[in-house]
Amino acid sequence: MSESVIEVSGLVKDYGRFRALHEVQLSVRRGEVFGFIGPNGAGKSTTIKCLLDLLRPTAGVIEVLGTRALAQHPEVRSRIGYLPGELSLAEQQTARMHLEYLAQLRGGAGKDGIERLAARFQLALDRPFRELSRGNRQKVGVVQAFMHQPELLILDEPTSGLDPLLQREFLSLVLEAQRAGATVFISSHILSEVEAIASRVAIIREGRLVTVEDVEALRVKAGQVVTLTFDAPPPLDGFRALAELESLRLEGATLSAVLKGSPDRLLKEAARFRVTHWRAKDRNLEELFMDHYRQPTGATP
Amino acid sequence: MSAQRLVIFRGALRTRRTGLLIWALSLAGVCGLYTALYPSMEKVDLEGMLKALPPAMVEALGYDDMSSAAGYVGSAIYGLVGFMLLLVFAIITGGGVLAGEEDRGTLELELTCPVSRRDVYLQRLAALWAQVAVLVVSVLVVTLGLSLSLSLGIEVGVLVRATVQLLLLVGFFASLAYAAGAATGRPGVARGLAAALAVTSYMFNALGPTVGQRWMVSVSPVGWYMADNPLTSAWRPLDTGLLAASSVVVVVIGWLRFSRRDLMA
Repeated sequence: MSESVIEVSGLVKDYGRFRALHEVQLSVRRGEVFGFIGPNGAGKSTTIKCLLDLLRPTAGVIEVLGTRALAQHPEVRSRIGYLPGELSLAEQQTARMHLEYLAQLRGGAGKDGIERLAARFQLALDRPFRELSRGNRQKVGVVQAFMHQPELLILDEPTSGLDPLLQREFLSLVLEAQRAGATVFISSHILSEVEAIASRVAIIREGRLVTVEDVEALRVKAGQVVTLTFDAPPPLDGFRALAELESLRLEGATLSAVLKGSPDRLLKEAARFRVTHWRAKDRNLEELFMDHYRQPTGATP
Repeated sequence: MSAQRLVIFRGALRTRRTGLLIWALSLAGVCGLYTALYPSMEKVDLEGMLKALPPAMVEALGYDDMSSAAGYVGSAIYGLVGFMLLLVFAIITGGGVLAGEEDRGTLELELTCPVSRRDVYLQRLAALWAQVAVLVVSVLVVTLGLSLSLSLGIEVGVLVRATVQLLLLVGFFASLAYAAGAATGRPGVARGLAAALAVTSYMFNALGPTVGQRWMVSVSPVGWYMADNPLTSAWRPLDTGLLAASSVVVVVIGWLRFSRRDLMA
């Protein structure tokens, strides 16, 4: 089996004179949960629709599950589960009719999964689609994407419309699929939504891939905000000497800094004085993520 | 796979079966009413009434042959009411069955299932033709049934032949709306185009002889279908062939674009 499930290089998509994607490069490995993060309009859905052969790229090579020509090999799509960013279904039909139709299109695959997944997400299968709330509609999308236990899940903003409880249920469904061997490509405009499940994330902005990184590495990069309060203002020289501390500040007797790396040396230095209060908070990846966005292309803040 | 089992074809029909049933019943009702009126109209001096109207107008309406049941059914149903209602259905449905669903977004999941664009295009086209055929047959059943039970004396063979031609004509405008929608993804544009062409085509056929321009009839699909009257004019195989070929041409052009363009853009 090949190592990478999605391999995209030099992907360009133009709409008339507007360039929606600029030479996007992506490589998603078998078995990983890969986050695809960017603000609305950055090109996430465009990229995903190119992966599925709904949109035809202006330039570039796309390989999905070992094929470069999905148009000639539609059968490969039976191994993909896709959740669209905006799900529309015929209003007068029930969820069950939709799901059974999709199962038929997949040669019967997934028919057994309908009841089980619907029960898990408390989806009323026999009500017409027009009567379903936004969250319930999204559940239909989730069920159809997972019901045939595909090798590759392509999920476009999957948690939008789901309440927090169902979001958690959804994330555990994703992890179960991954444990069963599936590869998951999941897009979101909120990093913290995928941070808990993704091993790597790509960040896209204005049609350009800004970075691809391990979530762990990102987290180290993001660091922790550490606040230490002493009984009297301590001398700063010892703290200044620590390379892992950034943005060191002293206000009265309270010292704050961003810690990137091990806390060991900081704790030992602080222990030389009398600490009355301490706090360490993981810096939200969102903050780091926003750094990427704020940077105008090529400039430093 | 799914192509053999015609899943898309059956799915497209299933979502529209209620609407289709209502259409078939309404159409049969209207056509039945018109046909059933013929015996009572025979008693009226229809010819005399028509003589009171300007001849050009009578000719343009196709009401110039009311002396026989075939002439009446041909102009009133096959040439006007049934024919018009069928065209309305064909153009609305032709624009809806592919482009309409793409526009509403309901095609997206189907397109990402293990089916090819060709399957989607051909099976939905087949579903469109099947719907048109159901309606055309409902017209035939009613007119034929009433013709036999009321002894109107319309030749069965002629009626069947005219029905096949009606199917080809209505199927052509349905295919035109379908193909234009497949090519553009815009149901409104597709329906507008097909409707404009249908009206133009009807006017050409109706007005051509009146203004002494026979060529207007020769280039009009409606002219290929009925010329003066679909039930009393002699059969013109060439025109029937032209009708059938026109559908093939627009379907091929629609496919060339549909197979290459961005979907759900």
